[in-house]
Amino acid sequence: MDINSLMQPNPALVLLVVALAAPLVVALGGAWRSELVGKVAIVMTGAAFATAIWTCFVDDATFDVAWASTWDLRFTLVLDGLARLYALLATGIGFFVVVYAFSYIPLHLHHDHRPLDEQTRFFGFLLLFMGAMVGLVMAQDMILLFLFWDLTAIASYFLIGYDRGEEESRSSAMMALLVTGISAVLVMIGAVILGNELGTYNLGRIFSSATPERGIGIAALLVTVGALAKSAQVPLHFWLPRAMAAPTPVSAYLHSAAMVAAGVFLIGRMYPLISLFDWLLDGLLVIGYASLVVGGVLALTRQVLKQVLAYSTISQYGYVVVMFGLGGEKGVAGATFYVLAHALVKSALFLTAGAVTEATGKKHLADLGGLWRRMPLLAFGSGLAAAGLIALPLTIGFFKDELFFAAAYEHGTGYAVLAVLGASLTFTYIARFWTTIFLGRENVAPKAIPGTLVWPVVVLGVATLIGGLWTAPAIWLVEHAATVSAGMDVHLHIAYHLDTRPENVMAVATWLTGTALLVSRPVWLPAAIAAARLGEKLGPARAYYEGLRLLNRVSDAIHTFEVRDLRSRVATILVPAGVLVGVAVIVTPNSDAFHVGSLARSDIPLITMIGATLVSALVVTIVRDHFRLALSLSAVGFSLAVVYALLGAADVTLVAIVVETIFSVLFMGMLALMPRPILRYETAVRGARRLVRRDVVMAVIAGAMAFFVVWGALSQPAPSTEVIEAHQMLTPLAHGKDIVTVILADFRGFDTMGEITVIALTLLGIMSLLRSGRLR
Amino acid sequence: MPMANYRRNAGMLQSAARILLVPSFVIALAVMFKGYGDVGDGFSAGVIAALGALLQGLAFGAEELDRIPVIRYASIGTFVGLTIALGTAFFPLLTGDPILLHWPRAGEDVVHFGVLEFITPVLFDVGVFLVVYGFCVGAVHAIAREQERQVRDRERARKARGAERPTLAEEPLEVAE
Repeated sequence: MDINSLMQPNPALVLLVVALAAPLVVALGGAWRSELVGKVAIVMTGAAFATAIWTCFVDDATFDVAWASTWDLRFTLVLDGLARLYALLATGIGFFVVVYAFSYIPLHLHHDHRPLDEQTRFFGFLLLFMGAMVGLVMAQDMILLFLFWDLTAIASYFLIGYDRGEEESRSSAMMALLVTGISAVLVMIGAVILGNELGTYNLGRIFSSATPERGIGIAALLVTVGALAKSAQVPLHFWLPRAMAAPTPVSAYLHSAAMVAAGVFLIGRMYPLISLFDWLLDGLLVIGYASLVVGGVLALTRQVLKQVLAYSTISQYGYVVVMFGLGGEKGVAGATFYVLAHALVKSALFLTAGAVTEATGKKHLADLGGLWRRMPLLAFGSGLAAAGLIALPLTIGFFKDELFFAAAYEHGTGYAVLAVLGASLTFTYIARFWTTIFLGRENVAPKAIPGTLVWPVVVLGVATLIGGLWTAPAIWLVEHAATVSAGMDVHLHIAYHLDTRPENVMAVATWLTGTALLVSRPVWLPAAIAAARLGEKLGPARAYYEGLRLLNRVSDAIHTFEVRDLRSRVATILVPAGVLVGVAVIVTPNSDAFHVGSLARSDIPLITMIGATLVSALVVTIVRDHFRLALSLSAVGFSLAVVYALLGAADVTLVAIVVETIFSVLFMGMLALMPRPILRYETAVRGARRLVRRDVVMAVIAGAMAFFVVWGALSQPAPSTEVIEAHQMLTPLAHGKDIVTVILADFRGFDTMGEITVIALTLLGIMSLLRSGRLR
Repeated sequence: MPMANYRRNAGMLQSAARILLVPSFVIALAVMFKGYGDVGDGFSAGVIAALGALLQGLAFGAEELDRIPVIRYASIGTFVGLTIALGTAFFPLLTGDPILLHWPRAGEDVVHFGVLEFITPVLFDVGVFLVVYGFCVGAVHAIAREQERQVRDRERARKARGAERPTLAEEPLEVAE
């Protein structure tokens, strides 16, 4: 990296730095003055949004530095059309969500009687979520992409579980983390397969060199499964409705521009790879249609505001997945456009649900009605958003369905019929959602709510309308993004046509079917509810719970055995290790594995010391008094140190002596702390004969295996001295004279680094255990 | 009280501990800095220094450890040391080199100060020293402080109850089952 490149700001880097600085600034600001944190968050997301807008006026950019060069990992960011679209969504929707949360979160904490400074945690993680999304959409290296992918899962875990006092909130967060986290491992495996098959983690090079062969296909499948789980597609959809336990701004963000959107983003990003395999595209079609229908039917049966919207999201991303499955220019462009339009309207609808509940205290559709008289502005904003979602003309949503219908019709009548059916379901539940809240008889009296809970909805609603009237910005964004996904130039033609082209006919059919469904609700509702019940009973959520319970039981059983007493803890380590090593030694075919060497006269001091070690070790098994036991153990260590010294290993001797000394001192200290009666009791009592026999068996297994392994290792012909010689030669070059130190601090410095990190973490563990009082 | 019992006659231990404190640190520093040319390294140096410090605890009790700053803040040393070591390890990344590449490079001239050579592995070893020293002292110190606090609390509770001083056998035993 030369200095010149630092002088000109790289747009990709600038965007990432601004987005990732936001959570840091919020965390620091919150630590300093927690009442300012909301304002700081608004400013920081505003800055990130402004930066994302600015990136639309600059050329594509690449930022690339070596990261772990031995593994060919690079920190590569690419600002392209797809990254711009999703970064704009993440920061833009993020901005409105933060403005909304500025008023919402203090109210929320107030209701729960929690201190106001818990705001910091909310805004910190929300902005970390945003930063992770921005990093994800620009990552051009599979491993880097995986890192940001997991970062979004972690941020979402803390946000969904924000109300940590509530059991439901915690278990929902855990479910979201498990479902998206386990599937993220699939993405990682896919990345490693691609790296092995193609020799690179760079997406550009992966796409240019990938061929439709089996290994690549498996990798593409794994990545796709990870993406579908993140997008809450059937059958891994069940975590999303549970994630509604999160505060409303989180739900709004999660459903529109982050997390769930990350899933379809990954499909869009990996589309050049995915589209190599027709069976994978067919799979997307099946999953997409299944999610469309399942999400739609379940949304029809729900009563809680946020639940309706949650199932609607499953269904809406089903559309996107279907369009990716249909493929081609129309499919990809349609999918990309759908994400954009959906983000605007869905965030507005979620924020509406939060505002309504805040004003009335009601969560159920049945308790609400006629709110438009008292909350006209909210009714207007969310009305526009709802119109957008059910694809009424003059909104941006109209085109999302037009493109969907066009792509489906191109593939055949069956697809078209399914598309109309799915869209009618959307029409029905969204129309029901809006009309039930705002029209009809006024049966609740809303109290006044802050303007910041209403204006974000209005702005997003108006944006839906403007997007339907002035289509140029959306077209520009989508064309560039879809070009990246499709790997070819994509042209998007959207306009209003007053003729009987198939798209228009299908749109009209949708509205008619939807209205018919809405009116005939009492007729089909029992059937829909029965289907929902059946799904709950036999669906994948059940498998999740059963699997979790089973895992818990296995883990508990092992844990109970392991921690029962010191003996079983030692046994769980020594016996399996001994058996495994023993099996390895036995099955390794070595006819002359064990040699008995010869002794020379000069070996006498060595033999004497080894004898001393042996005697002390035997004494350990005989003495019963704790003090003598500790001393005999030290005697074993010190005699071994002398053995090292006789072999001429000065550094090892020094380490052995100091470690042995500190152990002896600690033993004495511990004994001094132990109450005398316990020591006396332990000394006097003999263990039950059964336990003693078990100890002997354990000791024999572990000891015999260790003995044979060491014997076998020492019987091998002397290992090649090349490494040793190389180290000896390099030591002066490394400015050292003592080869052991140079090896520890330099040649093998990486090992040492890992070891000291473990030591520091252990200390941290000890201290936090003591502080939180769990040892008391 | 078991602790007080052995400390009552600990005059020898106490004077030996006091006398050995500073020398053990000096020896530790020598072992560490000479390590590149002679026997020893940051690890053994850390343990030697910790021995000197822990001897104070054995001789005088955990409160005494709080009185000596190098011991009281030892656990912070662990994290300072880790930062130094990781910083040394990762700083070559800034210039696009692999991690742990040392400076000055192989074969280049080295600034000397007596036998002390200014090269990054020595700094790394200083980090190792701090981590090991901080761990040994910090862990023992944390547990000892906790132990003495428990004893004090029990004492206070007993006084509050106004009961007579119980025999050792009646003392509630806090041992893992």
